[in-house]
Amino acid sequence: MKLINESSKTKIVNNVIVAMLSIYGISQKRFNLGEPTLFHQVVTEIVSPVQEGLADSKKSLSSLWENYILIVSTSKENIVLKKQISRLENDLTTMEEMRKENLRLKRLLNFSDEIANQKVLAQVVGWDSANEFKVIRLNKGSNHGIKVMSPVITDHGLVGYVYRVTENYSDVLTILDQNNRVDVVVERTRTHGIVEGVFNFKCTLKYVMRNEPVEVGDKLITAGVGGIYPKGIKVGMVTDIKRESFGMTLSIEVVPSVDFDKLEEVLVLIPAETTPVSQENKI
Amino acid sequence: MKMRFSQLLISFAITLGLLLGLEIVTSTLLPAIGWKEYRLTFNVLIILFLAIRMDSPAVPWMILVLQIVHSIFSIEGWALGTFAGVIVMLSANYLKEILHLTTAFMTMLTVQLFQVIWYLTVTIIICLKISDFDKFGMIMGSFIPGSIMLSLISPILFWILQTIWRTPSDGGPRGVEI
Repeated sequence: MKLINESSKTKIVNNVIVAMLSIYGISQKRFNLGEPTLFHQVVTEIVSPVQEGLADSKKSLSSLWENYILIVSTSKENIVLKKQISRLENDLTTMEEMRKENLRLKRLLNFSDEIANQKVLAQVVGWDSANEFKVIRLNKGSNHGIKVMSPVITDHGLVGYVYRVTENYSDVLTILDQNNRVDVVVERTRTHGIVEGVFNFKCTLKYVMRNEPVEVGDKLITAGVGGIYPKGIKVGMVTDIKRESFGMTLSIEVVPSVDFDKLEEVLVLIPAETTPVSQENKI
Repeated sequence: MKMRFSQLLISFAITLGLLLGLEIVTSTLLPAIGWKEYRLTFNVLIILFLAIRMDSPAVPWMILVLQIVHSIFSIEGWALGTFAGVIVMLSANYLKEILHLTTAFMTMLTVQLFQVIWYLTVTIIICLKISDFDKFGMIMGSFIPGSIMLSLISPILFWILQTIWRTPSDGGPRGVEI
């Protein structure tokens, strides 16, 4: 009697091959810079318009949740009337959303005048589907002048940098991600440190010596070191400082300036050496 | 029970379509309604179904293809999940005789157990990659809320996948004849 039959042998061989392939893949993987394959580019270009459409329908979804679901629970006699009210409320919500969007864009555009780089305005259309990575997808790509490592900001501060790019979409590694490290200075004391993403939409400030006079409420700005981010962009605010009895550095918690929960539009800063952006996309 | 290769291809194509749809829900629809903090990683659930319920030499390759599709929506890439998937599949093979997903509760319990193995594998590899084991607890902890939610919805998704793959309802694994 054979201890291992043919089927078992095939299973073992397949498992070993796939495991070896994945180990090779893991060894080659870089979590701070992505190079999309042709397959990735093609499928992203096909799938992302669906994401874009869904992101656009956010207002309708919110209205559906806030209005329609509530209406269902009311008495039958009022259904017709309530639906009319709901439609009016929908219109109002849409108009209110448009008003807010206009305000946001206006602020973003006014703010962008202060920055010398060429800028591309983009909309957030998706988030990374894995828990441990904090990446957002934008509806603009290399066709709009965006290239890998371009910094991404809002009028509130730093969002991250472009991690990978396809023709019409780009993925941004946000400062919430543990693989993104931002060189910062404390605005008040000019103390240098590195901001890293941790968990729960917060960051940590590392490599600040125990004797530095950093306080809760101190604002952090980019140091301009490292060649990715321009100097002076708001990053976050110190919210907690732990002075342990051991170690040389402080344990500092930072809340980002950007409210990632409400992130909808961003500005991508195009590095100066990039080929000119087409007129319709340029701000 | 055996399954023909052509049937396997059809079932797998439908599963890929299902994964694409669920990935769009996780990456766009849920964040659009404010669900941004904990992701429902449906790729893990689909791979767990294949690892636990299928008994075929093609399963590791199916895991690889599913992870390649998942990598479109995540910078995690294909390799990390493929490796974790193979580890989970090997663990499931050892426990095959005692795994009977006959009730919803047993399905949730089994899915939670294998998710722990999955995330343990992934967390160790991430910590090795970033050379920082101080983050082990934080990364592992970030998986827990999402994994519990996934376990709770696993009976529904397993029922859908069971229909797609036409696996027997007694909970045992099914062979595939190629």
